[in-house]
Amino acid sequence: MTPYLEATGINKRFGGLQALRDCSFTVEQGCITCLVGPNGAGKTTIFNVVTGFFRPDTGSVTFRGKKLDGLRPQAIVEAGVARSFQNLRLFDDLTALDNVLVAVARQFAEEPLGAIFRPLRAAQEQRRATALALETLEHVGLADQARQTVRNLSYGERKLLTVARLLATGAELLLLDEPASGLSAGALDAIMALLRRLQSEGKTLLVVEHNTRVVQKIADQVLFLHQGHLMARGSPAEIISDPRLAEIYFGGAI
Amino acid sequence: MDFLNTYLVLAEIYVLLALSTNLLVGIVGIFSVSQAAVFGVGAYIVAALLMGDLLPFVPAILVAAAGCVALNILVTLPSLRVAGDYFVVTSFGIQLLATAVFTNWTEGTGGANGLPGIPPPAILGFEFDSTGQFLLLSSVALAAGCLCFWLIMRAPFGRLLRAIREDEVAVAAAGKNVLRAKVGAAALAGALAGLAGGVYGTFLSFIDPSSFDLDASILMLTMVVVGGARTLTGSIIGPFLLLALPQLLTLVEIPSTIAAAMRQLIYGVLLIAFMLFRPQGLAGERL
Repeated sequence: MTPYLEATGINKRFGGLQALRDCSFTVEQGCITCLVGPNGAGKTTIFNVVTGFFRPDTGSVTFRGKKLDGLRPQAIVEAGVARSFQNLRLFDDLTALDNVLVAVARQFAEEPLGAIFRPLRAAQEQRRATALALETLEHVGLADQARQTVRNLSYGERKLLTVARLLATGAELLLLDEPASGLSAGALDAIMALLRRLQSEGKTLLVVEHNTRVVQKIADQVLFLHQGHLMARGSPAEIISDPRLAEIYFGGAI
Repeated sequence: MDFLNTYLVLAEIYVLLALSTNLLVGIVGIFSVSQAAVFGVGAYIVAALLMGDLLPFVPAILVAAAGCVALNILVTLPSLRVAGDYFVVTSFGIQLLATAVFTNWTEGTGGANGLPGIPPPAILGFEFDSTGQFLLLSSVALAAGCLCFWLIMRAPFGRLLRAIREDEVAVAAAGKNVLRAKVGAAALAGALAGLAGGVYGTFLSFIDPSSFDLDASILMLTMVVVGGARTLTGSIIGPFLLLALPQLLTLVEIPSTIAAAMRQLIYGVLLIAFMLFRPQGLAGERL
């Protein structure tokens, strides 16, 4: 059986820095997989490679047996894999609704000719996309903030909005870069509940996370990355109880 | 009356140019200072086609618009590779290049002496001879331009462009083709500038490089800043207001030798003052 997402032998070098070193891993469908490791381990680089923002020097990435490496980010989202950013990258001057609307997949009149020569169809499309975006906002619990610009949202709400934007793409494998970092206890619970709910609705999640408490609560599988290499994989309990990994994670270098 | 009509026709033409500039600079964030070059190419193409008796007015305008679509895509392409501030320098170079061609390609453009005797436009045998009749024509062009701008801004395309200005990477991560959207915006901006060029040349019946130089590009930017970026209203207010200023200056007793310099001075002061104290312009958003 072909693995759901499989990365094989990825190497990525930036000048003198080997960000990923013969990195291989798989992600199983329907699971929440947490990607952990000390700062600089290459977690975000993996996201960039899988979603087409960086091209790996060597190695391959396949999703449902389809080759992803070499594709543009757009094609990878269309294949069903989308990512969020650690620094959110929301459209700050737009409303929450518009942020989600931009990401709604396959819209008519996303180019000038359709917009100008088929205005009725474009207006109809606008209504369809808006309904879908509002539904998505409601799903993450931001329905009453739809008309607020991002600037007026709290940090926790912004994090939820990045998830809503991801969902609007229609992707089935979601790569979340530190969705829980910097949140208050209440907001943390909200996002963990949301991730669990997405899983129960059939999404597969690959999550970069630093907070071990969060990892323990949500992860089905943990991938431990160190110096660009997959060092260990296992259940949260296995990874956290391994003294060698704890030493790397909390203690000295190497 | 003719005085007022001339002002109205010119203001309407400049609204088309402000829309073109607003689309690229205000909405997509491609900081182009070469829109006057595209405007000029539109004017010269229509002039050449009409003076050579090659095509009637409407097809000539369409050819000019198509040519400007291609040209604007070409000159905007560096913005896909060269980020933000650096593109201004590239665009500046394109404008200088265009001015050099307009001034020196004597057979094609008449060089610095310009092209006199561009015939007035005629549609289905009806000639737009008087300024009053011409106002009708430029108003139709204005309405078409404003309608296009309004339609794209309320369609998914407009939202995509606004998102691109804020964060291209996030737009790509949302599964959208940034390149195609930018090309679409450049094409539309080119068509608007080309249309404006064709109407301008046939209205004045004379064109020369001074109408299409860097000063003209900066004037379009000033119109967008003063009127207000990213809105249709802003692109209409800006040209009408800024073109009224020189007319008002003629009412004041100043020697004609310093009138032109005076105008440039006022435009410059307005641009600085708005950027400092009211960056959202009269009816728009912060650039």
